[in-house]
Amino acid sequence: MINMAKETLGDYERLQADGKYRVGADIPAITFSEIGKRGIRRLDGYEKASGKALYTRDVQLPGMLYARVLMSTHAHGRITRIDTSKAEALPGVRAVIRHDDPEVKGRELNGSYFGPEWVTPEAASWGLKPIHLVLGDEAWYEGEPLGVVVAADSEEIADEALRLTDVEWEELPFILDQEEALKPDAYILRPGADNNIVQHPADERGLIEKGDVEEGFREADKVVEFRVKRNAHLWAGAEPPSVVVRWRGDNLEMWVHEQQPYHAKMLISEWLNLPMNKITVHSLYQGGAYGGRGNPANNSENGMNVLAALLARRTGRPVKLLYNRSEYFYGESGDMAVTYFKVGAKSDGTITAVQIRNIFAVYMCAPGIEHFIDNTRIPNLKCEGLAVDVSKGPAWWCRCEQLPNCLCLTLVFDRVAAELGLDPTEVALRNDGCDGHDMTYLSEYKREHGFPDRDSLRECIEAGKKAIAWDKKWHQPGMKRLPNGRMHGIAFTWNHDWDDVRGTGSAAVMFENDGTVSIIGQQSDIGVNPWTAYCQIVADELGVRYEDVNIKPFNLDHGFALMSPDGSCNLCSNANVLRKATKKAKGMLLELAAQKFEGVEADELDIKDSMIYVKAAPEKAKTIKEVVTLAMPSFVSCVFWTEAPVIAWAWHTQGLWGEALETGRPRLCRQAHFIEVEVDTETGEIEVTKVVNVNDVGKAISPETVEGQMYGGTYMGLGRALTEEMVWDEQTGVLLNRNLLNYKYASMLDYGPIETIIKETGMGHGPYGACGIGEATPTMIPALLGPAVYNAIGKWIDEYPITPDRVLEALGKLGE
Amino acid sequence: MIVMVEEIQDMPVNPVEHDKYIPEEFNAVGRRGIRRLDGYEKASGKAVYTRDVQLPGMVYARMLMSPYAHARIKSMDTGKAEAMPGFRYVLKYDDPEVKKWKALHAEESDVFDLLPDTAYFEGQPLGAVVVAETEEMATEALKLIAVEWEERPFVLDQEEALKPGAPLARPDLNPDDNRHGLYDLWYFNQHYGPNPWPIVFKEGDVEEGFKEADKVIEFKARKQYHTWAGVEPISCVARWLEDNLEIWVHHQCPYTSKEELAEKLGIPMGKIKMYCLYQGAMFGGWTWQSWGYAPHILTALVARRVERPVKLVLNARESHFYGGDIDHAVHHLKVGAKNDGTITAVQIKGVFANAPPGWIPYNGIVHFHENTRVHNLFLENRGAFVNVGPTAAYRCEQTPNALCITLVFNYVADALGLDPTDVALKNDGSHGKDMTYLSEFKRDHGFPIRDSLKECIEAGKKAMDWEQKWHKPGTKRLPNGKYHGMAFCWSHEWTDTSGVGVAGVRIERDGSVAVLSLHSDIGVSAVTAYAQIVADELGVRYEDITFRPFYDVTFFLAVPGASKNLTANGYVVRKAAKKAKRRLLELATKTGEYATHIYKPLFEGMKWDDLDVRDNMVYVKADPSRKVPVKEVVEVGRYGFGATHGPVYGWAWHTQGIYLGEAALRHPLCRQAHFMEVEVDPETGEVEITKVVNVNDVGKAINPEACEGQQYGGTYMGAGRNKFEEVIWDPQTGVKLNADLLNYKVPTILDCGPIETILVETGMGWGPYGSVGIAEDVATMVDGLMGPAVYNAIGKRIDDYPITPDKVLQALGKGSE
Amino acid sequence: MSEREAGVAVAEAPIELVVNGETYRLRVQSNWSLQHVLHNELGLTGAKDFCDRGVCGSCAVIMEGRPILSCMTLAIECDGKAIETVEGIAKANHPLIEAYVKHHCMQCGYCTPGFVVTAKALLAKNPDPGEEEVKEALAGNLCRCGTYPQHVKAVLEAANNLRRG
Repeated sequence: MINMAKETLGDYERLQADGKYRVGADIPAITFSEIGKRGIRRLDGYEKASGKALYTRDVQLPGMLYARVLMSTHAHGRITRIDTSKAEALPGVRAVIRHDDPEVKGRELNGSYFGPEWVTPEAASWGLKPIHLVLGDEAWYEGEPLGVVVAADSEEIADEALRLTDVEWEELPFILDQEEALKPDAYILRPGADNNIVQHPADERGLIEKGDVEEGFREADKVVEFRVKRNAHLWAGAEPPSVVVRWRGDNLEMWVHEQQPYHAKMLISEWLNLPMNKITVHSLYQGGAYGGRGNPANNSENGMNVLAALLARRTGRPVKLLYNRSEYFYGESGDMAVTYFKVGAKSDGTITAVQIRNIFAVYMCAPGIEHFIDNTRIPNLKCEGLAVDVSKGPAWWCRCEQLPNCLCLTLVFDRVAAELGLDPTEVALRNDGCDGHDMTYLSEYKREHGFPDRDSLRECIEAGKKAIAWDKKWHQPGMKRLPNGRMHGIAFTWNHDWDDVRGTGSAAVMFENDGTVSIIGQQSDIGVNPWTAYCQIVADELGVRYEDVNIKPFNLDHGFALMSPDGSCNLCSNANVLRKATKKAKGMLLELAAQKFEGVEADELDIKDSMIYVKAAPEKAKTIKEVVTLAMPSFVSCVFWTEAPVIAWAWHTQGLWGEALETGRPRLCRQAHFIEVEVDTETGEIEVTKVVNVNDVGKAISPETVEGQMYGGTYMGLGRALTEEMVWDEQTGVLLNRNLLNYKYASMLDYGPIETIIKETGMGHGPYGACGIGEATPTMIPALLGPAVYNAIGKWIDEYPITPDRVLEALGKLGE
Repeated sequence: MIVMVEEIQDMPVNPVEHDKYIPEEFNAVGRRGIRRLDGYEKASGKAVYTRDVQLPGMVYARMLMSPYAHARIKSMDTGKAEAMPGFRYVLKYDDPEVKKWKALHAEESDVFDLLPDTAYFEGQPLGAVVVAETEEMATEALKLIAVEWEERPFVLDQEEALKPGAPLARPDLNPDDNRHGLYDLWYFNQHYGPNPWPIVFKEGDVEEGFKEADKVIEFKARKQYHTWAGVEPISCVARWLEDNLEIWVHHQCPYTSKEELAEKLGIPMGKIKMYCLYQGAMFGGWTWQSWGYAPHILTALVARRVERPVKLVLNARESHFYGGDIDHAVHHLKVGAKNDGTITAVQIKGVFANAPPGWIPYNGIVHFHENTRVHNLFLENRGAFVNVGPTAAYRCEQTPNALCITLVFNYVADALGLDPTDVALKNDGSHGKDMTYLSEFKRDHGFPIRDSLKECIEAGKKAMDWEQKWHKPGTKRLPNGKYHGMAFCWSHEWTDTSGVGVAGVRIERDGSVAVLSLHSDIGVSAVTAYAQIVADELGVRYEDITFRPFYDVTFFLAVPGASKNLTANGYVVRKAAKKAKRRLLELATKTGEYATHIYKPLFEGMKWDDLDVRDNMVYVKADPSRKVPVKEVVEVGRYGFGATHGPVYGWAWHTQGIYLGEAALRHPLCRQAHFMEVEVDPETGEVEITKVVNVNDVGKAINPEACEGQQYGGTYMGAGRNKFEEVIWDPQTGVKLNADLLNYKVPTILDCGPIETILVETGMGWGPYGSVGIAEDVATMVDGLMGPAVYNAIGKRIDDYPITPDKVLQALGKGSE
Repeated sequence: MSEREAGVAVAEAPIELVVNGETYRLRVQSNWSLQHVLHNELGLTGAKDFCDRGVCGSCAVIMEGRPILSCMTLAIECDGKAIETVEGIAKANHPLIEAYVKHHCMQCGYCTPGFVVTAKALLAKNPDPGEEEVKEALAGNLCRCGTYPQHVKAVLEAANNLRRG
């Protein structure tokens, strides 16, 4: 990614000149009949509700073996001796691969998020740190898969074999806290390294500076400094990881639990040195991912795919490798950080300078300052990012990498408002802008690029304030005790909406012999209901009924892969892929149709309600089937066509790699969120009584789906804010709560009503002016609890999640 | 590779012209020692067939079979079955959803209901589909179904059937008599006029011909009912995901099956996902049965009802003895010839049993028409309904044509005391015209001008040592006391008559290449041949190509039928490869829509057509020393988030020829010749085939080993048909007496002597590189050849196939009266 | 996939289950959970493993009218029991299914069957539940995608349709 950013930095103007990169509003050229409609029957709905939807976990093949891998019991240690003889002797055990097996010994996980080209540790470091072996003998964290993997006739036998494996450990010192790891006398985890720093401010992205913060602090009427710590949390998707692999000669067939099966294919092809054309990848429904199944270069993804493939090859049987729930308690969100803030502001709320110093554990997810650049007029910014190695599992971006950016933006704005006694919504509006410029700059940009010029933030704030009765309810901190004895708090935050910055896909659109339409291309379904949206789009672009369009994207065999559900760019990229393909296919169909309408040229025809008609004389109409069968008359058993099939494919890459500004596409849509809490000052318990999400999604293709993302994101976000925390034992470095009993996330009863408001200003860079929503809410909500609690009890709590004990501590009620 | 640039974009292939895009040199194409793509899987037992499919929660379906030759179900009581533990469901003949489907593919063969209530032959599936937890339970449940039958009179012999007052075999199709071929067939009527019976073909005037003749011969030939007994018994697996159907079929035409399913189940084709795994043999048999799609539809129907994955299984008897070849016929022949061997007239009157009208037309006379100069021809074919089970083209519909041309030439040569090979050469031609006409035709259509038959005969005679060995009938007794005989037959090579395919070719980011399409693998090593073609057209190594044809990737290739598989699909994959190649070259020069990121073009300032590919290297035509591996060209881009270019992908379609190719005057130009040597034991009547020589002018052998495989396999199949393959019915009950592979013999490795295969490559085929199909013709040609060989041995005619020892003894006057 | 050849020393016993009205006679190992038998042995994959310790409700099935957690129940203890799975509920065209589709009560969908089963048991017991009762009933089902608000709408609508018949 670093290199890519370099590559394209500043190049977008040149590409625009070459006509290869278009920036500007996407004004719909069609009349919407399915797009934006409510009540569309979602494609995956019945399968999922009826239990018929198949997931990787459900795959069973004839003769299939079950494989399990050993997990480290130490936070840091080395295997000095491993004895698998008892395991190998156990009836039903079919294969045992140990870390010292020549085929795996010393071999690292290849690649990263971005595919094989990112295999060098330097390149991978950003995407994956630390680099792990596929099956190593050294544990970098407790629960790391290593040592030995076993294939047996049943899961139970495989487990038993692992229990019978005798392992001797050399225990090594470990470190859990990143600030500890920085101390001069700290134990150095990586042999050969001279400290525990994995990413230094001097490195790429380590230091971001704009203007002069010192100058900004001098101009300020008030300068605030504070520190906040964000503890580890986990996405913990519903379906535990598994992979099923079957060999047919040197052809490999695999069923993966991946967001990016195409990357999985690239990586395993490289690791096994197996040509890609010999690999068939199936990706069934995906039981939750949120980006967590989007890091192929991880033991739980490419790593387990490789091990399963090796076992399957050795045993000549299909192999299913499974993790159980507690084994899948690594891959925490990459926002484990301690952040030091220094902010200067004028008394009117104008922020003059923001300085941020982040100390990340394991790896740096996002610097923390980017949203100030993307959507404020603040001229002086400085951000130092430091990533430090600790004895915890590989961190990853889970819904999403913007978490640190959101936390910083939310806390800076709410602190400033609090310190100045201003209404935070006012402070937001006062500083809204882009790259140090105010709104006039954005208005100009919108005009130049054909966007409607609307004040997205103002619209979002107004709608949100109304919904939560802000003007009635907002009050100075610690002022409002409720009849039930609890303290009432209310808070607000804002940001831009996630815009598409990148994403590439390819797909084909085909008219079947019966006149129905098929979308052809692989895509992993992680629940955001994209297929329904694609069918709506193709239906409207073609002029056919939604019911006549179908997609079956469960494998890569077609040779087309739609953009993976990542970075909230799924829809923005793929909608354009499909529009291109649809345009071509429609052209082909009308060409063909012209032969059926005597004396009419193709361009005099159009399609509506699945009927092809003469524009000048709409009563002259034919069904698509009539026309298609002209090309493809079914000829019994010897298929006999007189024309080529009506199919067209296209690819599209949306945006350029790089940040919004680097690629000349400033964010124009905004979002605003409000929450209301009640804090019990005796127990320290916090109850979230109401949440209002306002998202300007530009254009809502499927409104229910957008709402689904707002609801879901709010629940996930509140869990992260209130209860979700991975707790390690100081003495042993063992993760204490590696199960869903002790790692709590939201149930139906946990939070008050959620009100969702969709704004559609059409100012997104995506198709029809849309922008992404998948990640926005869960990333925005977590930090918002702090200000709400502050507003309730008048005390800032500087550690997330905000658990009752931390509340009581803030209230000075915790005995030392 | 010398290819015109424009043609890379599109390769217009003229259906009546010789392939004009033949490279100067081949790399993979035509090479021996190519490792076949399906070889390891099949040798190692890893190849998965429909029969092997198991799904979680799968239940099993079995069907009721008729114990009678002709009977109707009056009533059915499934109570006992339903009470059985493990029973899940029964679909009955009176179910409204199945009742509404009267006919499947009337065009193809005898019509049967989807789930009939009446049996027209013993062993016909009908009445009920039972679903249970296990196959055993389903079979058990079938036994518990109480059926009340109305038995009906039946008739087994087609000539009997046509006599007045014969029992009606198919009253549902013809309530008046047993004349067959009386219902409308749209394409059939188009070509032969409405309701023809008998079907008549006339050319010249046979009576004139007989007058001109020095000799007129009359005889009668007959072929008994034989079956393909495809190895893998029929199964079908279906799973529903809401209204999306996943279905695993054992069939040669998955795409047509998709159309059938969509229509019968009332769902869009786009919601059907086909799996066509390896196919355990079929040779056309089940595929062309009108009822051949019924198992798919019935499986899908019951799967939808029970909401579980369902596997329908027919056992070996039900699968292998469902039907037979269309050559279950009697031919009355009359031939006139001059002393020099010139044939002046051929008249054939045939009576076919259950032969589907689609196949009868002209059958018997066609090869005289297509590749002789005989200009007086007359054919009169009749079809008769009988209760022996349906017939269909099973390697292949040309069997009656092949039998007639083999016997006619043999009879004529014998009657005139001439060498049959000379008689063949004397009459070779086309449409009643001699070789000068064909030479002109070849010139006009861009073909090389070679005398294919002469080349084949010369090669074959040499291999067989014909000059030394050939002798007058019944004149050569061997030291071992057996009679020695030998015979020769010839015809044209099956040329492609039709076929449409669509395929994609994708160059993966590591430079390996995938061919994308759905294709039914029936064992002819077709995918390997396609991979060879793609390799040469792309300029990459064969080893870098893979084709896994089992999956529904929307595209499908022409079905492996009518020997047109390769001639149609060879063009398809070649065109697709061209298109992919163009995208590759464009990417190398980074023009067009294929790149958004700024990086140095691999060939700066070049146009894609300045480049070409060879040995996996993209190189500059003007300066071949400037080259970059294909892999690096594809890698310049990235996929996923940061992708910089679209897939290097191309798709193409092609339709080969025009259906009923002769209509388009696409004369078969390649010939084939076969020689057989036998020893007949006059005591036991046993015939031993001691040597066979197959000479096939395949135009161009893409994969020589695959061609030889078809020659070997065809000869063995032919040997079986000659010697002992015959279904026998009990005349009292109409029940098959030998419906198992113990009593219905198929050839083993011991049943034929050494086989010498010779491939001639004149390049005179219509297919890519001048190739023609070969899969069917050897099996079809050889299975009439033993008659003449036995005659040459014992001097007695046995024109009733198979030629079993008892018939030989009969002929020798040793049979018990 | 049968595990008869299992090397682990475990007892086996024959049991009879009536699943969705259909009788199954099978031999189960003493350590098999009901979820394992339904999912792996009978191939009724609607009962999902998610938390593996009775927290998430994704493996819920109805036994003798009560919703139970099949991953916390030993199959060997269920001999002779009548069990209803989400497959059975769907096959019976229970209005819950269409209501769930209509109200988008699913994202990744892995936990959805558990909700449907739990809701079905609720409506069988209480044909006219209030919003709070629905929440209470479904509180034991985890959905990481956070579809909660949509479930309440769907269950109440299904209850309505049921009452109206």
